Amino acid sequence: MNGLLQFFIITPSLLAAAAFLSPKRIKGLREGIALVATGLNLYFALAYFGRDIYATVPWGGGLGLDFSLRLYGFSSFIIASAAAFSFLITLYSSVFMYKKEHPGQFYLYLILSVAMINGAVLADNLVVLLFFWEGLLVTLFGMIFIGHKGAYKTAMKALIIAGITDLCMMLGIALTYYLAGTLTISKIHLPMSFGASVAFIFIMIGAISKAGSMPFHSWIPDAAVDAPLPFMAFLPGSLEKLIGIYFLTRISLDMFQLSAGSWVSTVMMIVGAVTIILAVMMALVQKDFKKLLSYHAISQVGYMILGIGTAVPVGIVGGIFHMLNNAIYKSCLFLTGGAVEHRAGTTDLRKLGGLGKVMPVTFASFIVAALAISGVPPFNGFFSKELVYDGALERHWIFYFAAVAGSFFTAASFLKLGHSAFGGKISEEFKKIKEAPFAMLVPMVVIASACIVFGLYNSFPIDKLIAPVLGEHAQSHVFSGFPHNIMLVAITLVVLAGAVLNHIYGVKKTGKGLGAVDHIHHAPVLSTLYDKSGQADPYDIGMKLTGILAAGLWYIDRGIDWLYNGFSVYSAYAIAFVSKNIRGASYSAFIIWSLIGAAAVLAMMFGKS
Amino acid sequence: MSWTLVVVPIIAVILLNLPFGEGYRKLAFPAGIFLAVLQSALVLLPIENMFPYGACPLSPFVFLSPDALGLLMILSVGIVVFSALLVGWRMTDKTSRKSDFANLIILAMAGMNGVILSGDLFSLYVFLEIVAVSSFILIAMDKNREALEGSFKYIMLSAVATILILSSISVFLMLTGSTSFSAAAAALKQGNHAAVLASGLFIIGLLIKGGIAPFHGWLPDAYTSAPAGVSIFLAGIVTKTTGIYTIIKLVSYVTGYTGPVKEILLFFGAVSALLGAFAALDQKNFKRMLAYSSISQMGYVIMGLGAGNPLGVMGAAFHLFNHAIFKTQLFVNSAAVEQETGTLNMDRLGGLSDKMPVTGATSVVALLSTAGVPPLSGFWSKLLVIVALWVAGYKIYALIAVFAGVVTLAYLLSMQRRVFFGNISASFSNIKEAGVSFTLPAVLLSTITIAAGVFFPYVFEKLIIPVQALLGLL
Repeated sequence: MNGLLQFFIITPSLLAAAAFLSPKRIKGLREGIALVATGLNLYFALAYFGRDIYATVPWGGGLGLDFSLRLYGFSSFIIASAAAFSFLITLYSSVFMYKKEHPGQFYLYLILSVAMINGAVLADNLVVLLFFWEGLLVTLFGMIFIGHKGAYKTAMKALIIAGITDLCMMLGIALTYYLAGTLTISKIHLPMSFGASVAFIFIMIGAISKAGSMPFHSWIPDAAVDAPLPFMAFLPGSLEKLIGIYFLTRISLDMFQLSAGSWVSTVMMIVGAVTIILAVMMALVQKDFKKLLSYHAISQVGYMILGIGTAVPVGIVGGIFHMLNNAIYKSCLFLTGGAVEHRAGTTDLRKLGGLGKVMPVTFASFIVAALAISGVPPFNGFFSKELVYDGALERHWIFYFAAVAGSFFTAASFLKLGHSAFGGKISEEFKKIKEAPFAMLVPMVVIASACIVFGLYNSFPIDKLIAPVLGEHAQSHVFSGFPHNIMLVAITLVVLAGAVLNHIYGVKKTGKGLGAVDHIHHAPVLSTLYDKSGQADPYDIGMKLTGILAAGLWYIDRGIDWLYNGFSVYSAYAIAFVSKNIRGASYSAFIIWSLIGAAAVLAMMFGKS
Repeated sequence: MSWTLVVVPIIAVILLNLPFGEGYRKLAFPAGIFLAVLQSALVLLPIENMFPYGACPLSPFVFLSPDALGLLMILSVGIVVFSALLVGWRMTDKTSRKSDFANLIILAMAGMNGVILSGDLFSLYVFLEIVAVSSFILIAMDKNREALEGSFKYIMLSAVATILILSSISVFLMLTGSTSFSAAAAALKQGNHAAVLASGLFIIGLLIKGGIAPFHGWLPDAYTSAPAGVSIFLAGIVTKTTGIYTIIKLVSYVTGYTGPVKEILLFFGAVSALLGAFAALDQKNFKRMLAYSSISQMGYVIMGLGAGNPLGVMGAAFHLFNHAIFKTQLFVNSAAVEQETGTLNMDRLGGLSDKMPVTGATSVVALLSTAGVPPLSGFWSKLLVIVALWVAGYKIYALIAVFAGVVTLAYLLSMQRRVFFGNISASFSNIKEAGVSFTLPAVLLSTITIAAGVFFPYVFEKLIIPVQALLGLL
């Protein structure tokens, strides 16, 4: 049993290569291999669910760099969820990617991502974790890169942002190693000293950046336009959130003893709250299906970080539950977006409209997922958000306020999205389109029904999957069932009703669904902020600063360059010129050199004997 | 029996030259290939003591069972002879000369096996001479001015080396009444001055044969003027066996790793490593540059040996093996370039990678291995040598070794750029890959380089670790 954990990594890697190399001529072979790979992975994930296994392969000598993997409750839960999503998305892609460019590379990256995620989640050694973490960066880059010809820039952007944050994580890991004296994750339990707090912040940057939080988000909306759509549902939509938040939870609960009073916890909550508000405000005004969703993908991370950052049990449970829920409804939303693109050929909301009549199943799935993300009872999003609210309120009302405000705008933007894409009048050209193909509908419907199941029967995910993660932190709390704080539920319902009223007001004013939030967009102060928001990409600012720095370093570099390229080359050639001529151009010269050498040999021979 | 390695090739040469006409003599080529492959394959077979000791009938010579380094050398001899035969057969134009070439190579192979297996000073000398005489003829085979001049230089210096070695042996014979290694070693141990002088002379003779600076004057001319197949053979294995391997043998069996010997090895090794590397930097002729590179790389081997600790001896042995692989490879590539373009002047070449992708790519592998870039095999052997020098306390020499490695990378990259990268000149626009007799050895050798690097722990354990027994012979 010991060695079998490696197969979680080896099997998908091999099958990824097989899918990539499979000949183009045999139709469906590639898709078949991909389905087998993710299906096998799902089977193994379920077969190993909830077990406690530790496997280690000595590696890297005495440096403590053992290739150790550990499966336990929490990691098996993440692996099973990731496996389920990857299987459904592969099924979906088998239709979506058909006749698209680079299917071979797409499946290679997709299955390889599964292997990397399994590796990162199972790793019980920080360096091993880092290896798979960085491996994910490669597949991410590749996925965006194959989108279309111009996607190169976005891929580069993603790579630079993720690369820098991963570098921070590397620093954090090095510092942790220094403080804890070990790289084995399950042996690290650091109290929050100043050094540990710094290490925590560094690792946290890596984790939340993977999850897509602000200010490391700016590649996601670009990628939404450039990359193949299943990719969005797959990596930034669900799996990256899963492992980002997974690792954030691990560092908050196990590796560091994060307490509610520490400044680190406050930093996390601020990051979470700011992410919620800013991203949702951006989402509100988008005029493209995919782009709108991608901003929500950022905004929802805010809830998770806020929940875990509260460092109180109810908040943490809420954060993790929200991670799971978000992965469910967000991937469902991306898939409906993909179905719309597949059939209508565009995701521009100005062109779409009335699709609800021709694509009823897609529309129904969309409604369920939209209700879930807006936090309407009894869908799953409602319960996790309530838990987060509860935790946030325990710390300070301002965080609670930010979270609730985020909910208002989320609901408003989905009302707008649903109204403009599926509601309203259908244009002539879309009248003939059909419902999405079966293989695309299955994942959508399955995932949408999970929204309902995880809402109504929330005691299963919360009590069975999430509460055990907390261990002794959980004490005897009960988190499942209907929220205990009726007051908070009432406020939520009022806010949601407000969002509906706001929508009706906006539609009346402009006469169409797409204009439902124009009055917010054009509100006095907000409109200027929105105009500026385009320039406020942290990536672009960073790039500009880098440019200035680079110009300064250029001059220093020239000097050093001369040392290498000028000075050392000239002196090397000068020596070369001399050495070349010590070769005895004539026989006598050779004899003279040999005699000198022979004299030296004999002198040495007798010198010390 | 170990002596079959020497006797079988010699009998083969005799049989192949029976007067049955030119068509019959052409069998020398397949016979040579067969013997070379057989020899390498036998070493790699997982059999303990593949070549046991046994008295050779009708022969005054003593053949030992090969030690770990001997096995490694027998393997290298097989690989290099295989490559040299393939390339040389293709590049020699007249049929009769082709057969001469193959016959001489087989004869030299017998000589080298003899050097590796010989059990006393005199038989060592005899086989050194067999190799040397075959090489003289091989270099001069083209009978043009340059080839004759190169061959003549080689004969003259070999004569000097021969005189030194023979005098040394006669001194030992006079002192001890025997030419065995152990008798010579015993005489040295007593501190007899004549014995010390004799061992010094022997070392000088071998340094000349191995082309270690400042005794290297003959080597670039000999390598450059020889026909392509012969340069591969000379650079890849001949000077390495007759010079460098024999030094290792002499030091291990006769002189021991004493202070003065180590000092000589370290000093001349360092001079060679640096001088060779710098001289290579400014060469225009592809083969001449490789010749200087060879001098520099042999400096590493000698330095590793001079460290006198297990790591150093293992590093020296492994680097000797690696050098046989990657330098043969580079010479094969240069032969392919010469065959297609008719020139070796690097200023006139360029951009050949587009037309000769296999040659260009394998050349990259070989040059990176030569320069010691991980994970190729050359990296590990250089690392062993450098670490050994550092551990033994010769920190200056370790730094020199590192520095020479940097210069190595510089000249080889410049070679790669000038020959294979950049723009191709219009006169070479019609060339193509030189054919399977060039690409087959090139691919084989670079595969060995990569495999020995990637699976280094395995190679190290199976082939290299036993080499350190050389330290405990005295």
